[in-house]
Formats: sequence, structure tokens, C-alpha cells
Amino acid sequence: MLEKRRTSWQVTRAVWHAMFLHEVLARTTADRFAWFWMLVEPIAMVAIMAALRGVFLSGRHIAGADFIPWLITGLLGFYLFRENLQRSLKAIDANKGLFAYRQVQPVDPVLVRCFLEGMLKSLILVLFVAAGELLGIEMMPSDVLAALYHWWALWCLGLGAALTASALAVLIAEVAHIVQIAIVPLFFISGVILPLNFLPHWVQKYLLWNPIVHGIESLRASFFSSYRMVDGVDMFYFWCWTLSFVALGLMLHTAFARRLKAQ
Amino acid sequence: MISINGLYKRYHNHHGSQWVLKDINLEIPTHVNIGLVGRNGAGKSTLLRLIGGMDTPDQGAIVRNCSVSWPIGLAGGFQGSMTGRQNVKFVTRIHNAENKLDEVIARVEEFAEIGAAFDDPVKTYSSGMRARLLFGLSLAFDFDVYLSDEATAVGDQIFRKKATRVFKERVGRSSLIMVSHAEAILRDLCQSGILLQGGKAFWFDDIKDALTAYHELNFG
Repeated sequence: MLEKRRTSWQVTRAVWHAMFLHEVLARTTADRFAWFWMLVEPIAMVAIMAALRGVFLSGRHIAGADFIPWLITGLLGFYLFRENLQRSLKAIDANKGLFAYRQVQPVDPVLVRCFLEGMLKSLILVLFVAAGELLGIEMMPSDVLAALYHWWALWCLGLGAALTASALAVLIAEVAHIVQIAIVPLFFISGVILPLNFLPHWVQKYLLWNPIVHGIESLRASFFSSYRMVDGVDMFYFWCWTLSFVALGLMLHTAFARRLKAQ
Repeated sequence: MISINGLYKRYHNHHGSQWVLKDINLEIPTHVNIGLVGRNGAGKSTLLRLIGGMDTPDQGAIVRNCSVSWPIGLAGGFQGSMTGRQNVKFVTRIHNAENKLDEVIARVEEFAEIGAAFDDPVKTYSSGMRARLLFGLSLAFDFDVYLSDEATAVGDQIFRKKATRVFKERVGRSSLIMVSHAEAILRDLCQSGILLQGGKAFWFDDIKDALTAYHELNFG
């Protein structure tokens, strides 16, 4: 029944295929209403933030964008990054029983989960854009290609963070806790709900160290043609972080493959 | 034939790193069943994991000129929150046998005899049920060599008899390398033996000689 020798690539592809089917099932049926929450979480967040807009905007306006679409693009962009990172933290642990098969490597569940999250979040984005258009809210990106590119870029940053954090979380037990704690402040300093343009320049300077800001601001600029980005947004800086994370993550997964499997 | 050449293996931990296996050289034929004997911690499971490709040696090489199963043991092999059926599908897919999915599922279901539990999450299984499922799963693929790490230890009489019968039927087609402390099973199923002692491996053409040597070394 077993075929002749397969190439490494064929084996890996079979593993990704099998793992994808199994992760899709786990992700969408694990808890009741898993689908429901995927949609309701961003909607609820938008509703709450829209209700509280007075607190964040204090009467001012965002230059070049309506508040609701501005909020939706930021939230979804941040969630894309966050879900990649959070879902991958436990990916190795949840699948450790499967490392009994020599075909399966610890990096496989991480890659598959990130791919799956990317697909799910992209579907949610499309639903939001469609719903916005139907409700008469200007949600269609003014530059669709640029929007796709910046969406993909944010996914790549999430993938890099996920690769690095998933390996470190197994090697150093505290990392998972630190990442979980760090996500909340990261949400507030990434300009998702609080426009960074409202902050003094000396604060902006430090917040721009965070690569997520660059990704989210660029994503917004591709949605709203007259949007005024925070000064100093630079996708080159963003890709330096992203590629470093991806490289570091893959290096950790290669160097410590044996320890990640054994745990 | 599985050839092991100059194999060294150790695990690093906070109290040093002693060699578990030191300079192992073996030519393991694939037409006989082999019992792996040795004391707890002698490196039996480690050797099995290395043969199965689950782990890599620190030095030396293992050449497998045949299809080898994964080490069928008490731990691992399943994703706990998925059902037995979903796990079987996963393993079938990674072995590139998706076109025979129904056939594999039918064979596993028939061998494991766990009934409706086949559709329950694996984490709810008893160790005997897990072992039966994992064993049945490996038998659904026609490997040349099967690696069993105490997989028969937790099964009941019926399961042991069944496993024994299957391997007797398969003599000549596929072989078994098994770790077990149940000497009756070793004598019954295996023809040859490997004794692991002090990091070294010793080959015996007859399993009885391996067991005798093991007794002499450890119990005077």
C-alpha cells in the first residue's frame, strides 16, 4: 500500500494537507458557535469603540477617513497579526502526540495554523467590506492591490512573530505568559483605536518603533485615498522586522527541532 | 536490512550528558522478528526511536532500505482532542494513502474493536484502547518493519493473542522489532534478540540466548 520513496517536498505537502484539514475542523467546531464568535468579536469591538468614540476622538476628526471604516481596518489588521501569534503559541503543544510520525515537524502546525488564520481573517475582511458597501459605508479599498499587499504584509509579520514565539514558548516556559500579557498593551499602542496623529510628536517617535503601526497605517492609506498617515511610516522598517522574525523563527525551529519534539 | 553504523546518542540535561548509546554497530535483518531486551534506562526506547527516524543520532548513521513504521508505544501517536477516526484519517494522509482512506478506516476499526469510542476524542480513551487503535492503525499500512515499544503491555489477553496471530501470519512479509519486559511474548513472537547493556548492543541469533545473557548479567 505504501508508495515508493517520496521526496521531502511531497512528504511535507502531504503533512500540510492532512494537518490543514484537521486544524480547520478543530478551529471551526472546537467550541459551540466558533463561527459566530469569529464574526461577532470584531463587530462587538467596533460597536463598543463607536459608542466610546467621544473618549478617543474628543470631538476631533481623523484626517481623510471616516471613523468606523478607519476602526474596522485597524481592528482587522491587528487581529490578523494577533491571531497568528496567539493560535501558534499552543500549536506545538497541542500536536506533540503527532511528532511520533517522522514526517511531522514542529514547524508544520505553526505554518498550518497561520495559513488557516490568514484565510479566516481574509474571509472576515471580505464580509466586512461587502457589508459596509451594502450599508452605504465607504469600505471598498481605494487601491485594492495595495490593500491586498499590506494585508499580506501584516500576515507575514504575524507569521514571523508566531514562528519565533512558538519555538521560544516551548524552550522557555515563561515566554507564553509574557506574550499573552504583551498583546493587550500592544493593541493600545498600535494605533488601532487611538489615532496616533492626536499624540504629541515626541510620543509618536517612540510608538513608531512598533512595526505593527507601520503595517496598519499603510493598510489604512490603501483603503482611504486621502488618509493622512502618521509621519515616519516606512514599510522598509516594517519588512526589516518581519524578515528578521521569520528568519529567527525558522532558525529556532531548525536548531531546536529535537527539543521541540521531545518537550 | 537496517544498518546502524557507529551510532552514538546522548541527552543533554542539567546533570551532565552521559552517552545512552555508545558506538552501536548492527545489521538488522528484516526477515526475522527481533526482541530488544535490557534494563530500564538501557536505551531500548531510544534505539527504537532512532530506528523509526523520530530522533537523530549525535554521531553515526542509520540506513533504512525498507519501509519502517513509527514506534508504536504508549505515549504519542495521537492528537488528544481529535477523535479516533480523525486521527486515523490524519495518519493515512501523511502516509500518502488518502485514496485508500475507507479501506484503512475499515481495517483499523475491525482490528481495534473499540466500537462507538472510535468517534470520541482520543484523550477519553483508556491506555488499552489507545494501544489497540495505534496498533491497528500501523497494521493498516504494509510496512516492512514494525517497531513496538511495549505496545502490547497494556492490552488484554484477547488483544495480545490477536497481535501475536497477526505477526505470525505476516512472517516472511514483514517483521517486528519489539521492546517488552514480558518474556513470554518475546519467546513466542521473536526469533532473534538484541541485548542493550551499558550503552552497547549485543546481537543474538536466538532470542533465548539473549534472555539468558540478560539474566546472567543482571541477576548473577
